[in-house]
Amino acid sequence: MTAVPLRLTVNGQRREIADVPDPERLLDTLRWRLQLKGTKEGCRSGDCGACTVLVDGRSCLSCLTLAREVDGASVTTIEAGPEEALVARVRAAFEAAGALQCGYCTPGFVMAVAGLFHERGTAAPRAELLEGLGGNLCRCTGYAAIVRAVDLLRTGGP
Amino acid sequence: MTAAVRPDAGIKLAGTAVFGTDLDVPGMLWAAFVPAPIAHGRLRTLDLRAARALPGVTVVGPEDLAKLLGTGERDLERPLFADGEIVYRNQPLAVVAAPSAVEARAAVAAVKVEVDPLPIISDLETVFPEWPGSDVDGNPQVAAHVRARHGKVEAEFRGADRVISETYRTASVHQVPLEPHACVAEIRGDVWYVRTSTQSPFGVREDAASLLGVPESAIVVDGTWVGGGFGGKGSSFLEPYALLLARASGRPVRFALGYREEFRLGRTTLPAVVRMETAVKDGRIRARRVRLLLDVGTSLPGRDFATGYSIGFLLGPYRTETFEVEGYAVRTHKPPFGPHRAPFAPQCAFVVESHLDHVAREMNLDPEEFRASHLWKEGEATLLGQTVGPFGISAAFERARATARTWRAEAPPGHGVGIGCGFWSTSTGAGGEVRLRLDPQRLTVVEGEREIGSGSVIAGLAAVAVRVTGLPRDRVTIEYGSTAVAPFDSGVYGSRTLGALGRAIEEAAVRLRRTLAERLGARGQAELSVERGEIYAEAGERRAAITLLLTPEEQAAGGLVAEGRHTAPPRSIDEDRVLAGSFYPYTDFTGAAHVAEVSVDPETGAVRVERYAAFHDAGTVVDPGAAQAQVEGGVAMGLGAALTEEAIWSEDGRLTNAGLLDYRIPTLGEIPPITVEFLEGFPGAGPFGAKGLGEPPIVPVPATVAIATRAACGAHVTELPLSAERVARALKLL
Repeated sequence: MTAVPLRLTVNGQRREIADVPDPERLLDTLRWRLQLKGTKEGCRSGDCGACTVLVDGRSCLSCLTLAREVDGASVTTIEAGPEEALVARVRAAFEAAGALQCGYCTPGFVMAVAGLFHERGTAAPRAELLEGLGGNLCRCTGYAAIVRAVDLLRTGGP
Repeated sequence: MTAAVRPDAGIKLAGTAVFGTDLDVPGMLWAAFVPAPIAHGRLRTLDLRAARALPGVTVVGPEDLAKLLGTGERDLERPLFADGEIVYRNQPLAVVAAPSAVEARAAVAAVKVEVDPLPIISDLETVFPEWPGSDVDGNPQVAAHVRARHGKVEAEFRGADRVISETYRTASVHQVPLEPHACVAEIRGDVWYVRTSTQSPFGVREDAASLLGVPESAIVVDGTWVGGGFGGKGSSFLEPYALLLARASGRPVRFALGYREEFRLGRTTLPAVVRMETAVKDGRIRARRVRLLLDVGTSLPGRDFATGYSIGFLLGPYRTETFEVEGYAVRTHKPPFGPHRAPFAPQCAFVVESHLDHVAREMNLDPEEFRASHLWKEGEATLLGQTVGPFGISAAFERARATARTWRAEAPPGHGVGIGCGFWSTSTGAGGEVRLRLDPQRLTVVEGEREIGSGSVIAGLAAVAVRVTGLPRDRVTIEYGSTAVAPFDSGVYGSRTLGALGRAIEEAAVRLRRTLAERLGARGQAELSVERGEIYAEAGERRAAITLLLTPEEQAAGGLVAEGRHTAPPRSIDEDRVLAGSFYPYTDFTGAAHVAEVSVDPETGAVRVERYAAFHDAGTVVDPGAAQAQVEGGVAMGLGAALTEEAIWSEDGRLTNAGLLDYRIPTLGEIPPITVEFLEGFPGAGPFGAKGLGEPPIVPVPATVAIATRAACGAHVTELPLSAERVARALKLL
């Protein structure tokens, strides 16, 4: 296994890792090298969306992304601070709508919603936004409260 | 907006809540199973030498147990490793731990396994090609046999206008918590310590003690946040193996399943076949005969609870004077059966509702009126002779009928509207102990369960504490403790948490308030209130700050302590009606009626649920936001079981769709708008008359979708799930 150097910005901070094994999944780099365990490991096969993060603002499945593919990019995770205004707004909407139960899919869902609004804007058709969340699975909420959170964001709240 | 802000929203949205998969201890090793390569065979060779020789690798196999565990008495009926004979595919043969996941996989690959194959019993039909008789004693494939009867069954069947018989089949379904099983174990001096994502820390302790032959007092189980349980995390699984590896390696050991293993090894609902026979005379049910074959995998004989409890749900909630019911728990070469949210009740409701809908149609009766007129009413006896307690099922059914009428009037051609009922009961279970600690600033509820997502612990128990003490919500703290410090409770399962721990809080609060009243020189219970930031107690004519009512010892120990324990209310069935095995009474009667509007693709048979309404009798609703969320989530999970979820086992005992791409749970776009309504006035056994609500919402869903599907296109599907293929076959499109 070879190792590669990796430079990226994570939640606004410059991070450099001298020797990331190649291949290593971005998910593992975030969780086990950078100790950012807020990004969740579910299926590791791109089916559940729990590991969704933002790469340069766009949502990305970190389990199917190699760390070296994001060299030089800006990565945003659920640990992002209040200066990530869009993520902070999505978080507030999830809290207001009670859009979580066990919380395991929540970081991925928050990132997926933030990525969608980043790409399409709040004026995008509702059906299009909801279709864009089809890759994130939730077993607790029946998605009802998550849809309410999306609606809150579309209408300018919370 | 009905949802209140959840107390755990903040840390879960910040990404700081630690789940089992997040546990990370310096120096820890990563564990993996050495899995059995076939479902049934005799283990000829298990050569662990090459794996043991790898750098940094620890291996524990059957031969190592005596040395690691000493002479403690172990439960040998449940061996940790295949004991000469392999009985299901992927059964653990040994476990390894290595410095990384990659090295652990390499160690597993280095193990040499040779197996002499034996015939594989893959399904129910292999064991019983014909329905078995009652004479099954001694059949090694029968783990349990239950039988009950009442009245002159044969005479009623002979005298009926018509007997309608059908056979139903239901699929194996998995819990699919998004977080797979995960724990980290460490040996700390003479303490076996494990942190784990579990629905039952004390259950894990008991299980690990009996499997390892270690006293319970030497084991400490500490829960994490749980990324979904749904029954799948109710007993020990990885923990004993992680503890063994920690003992053998002298290092902390992380054991987390990959998602495919989660599917392959999970203990869950397995397939079943149900035969329903109903004798009808003068438009009334005169007698019923029900037979069940339930696949229980490699569950142990005599340890089966599922059959007798499950089969009860095939007998209700419809009045029948005369009946016979017989069930067999059948062993096959699959992992042991395990509980899945309302174990087997959604499948039972699907069978009962679909069958009675069919019976009414065959008799040219109004199917809804037929069902409504037979529903159990409070005060009458169940088939097993238990008196029905307060039960809102008829009220729910009437609300469902009103909704169904409106929807039918609005539905476009090709759509169908159907109603399905379901009933459930809050479980009691062992334990249900809490400790309340009152200091001048706050009331702390010390308890031993972690929040699994339903809100029953962090929202429900807090709401009970607020209501029984009169203190504001911000003065109540739920303090979870490990098995080393918390009062005993048997687990978050069976919709029991609010009922059991809630009643314990009620009892402890009464003690606390009595003690305070005594100290004020009054009788009865003191009232609590907050003034200028301090808690006050008032009784009789006197009132004092808590600070002044605590002894010096209590001041030093952090407050006045009172304990409470849940006591299950007495319930019984008429044992004269039980001829074999065990049947169980219900703690309370929780009813629901659901309505679905569906459309069916006329070319493919694909069913789409367009809208959905759920009417629930949950007794007194303690937290309306959490209650609504439970129903929405339960309905969605039920829609999966109704339409797409099916774990498919092959003839050689292999789970062929072990992954989320092939085992399809509902996605956001497949869930229709769901309206939820609670019917109050039918109190249960929980605090203030609450009934458990974790499981009831899933129960009526497959039935409701099936009946709506038949209304939409005429397809009478007698198998779950109602896949496009099955609907198309029923419509003769295939």
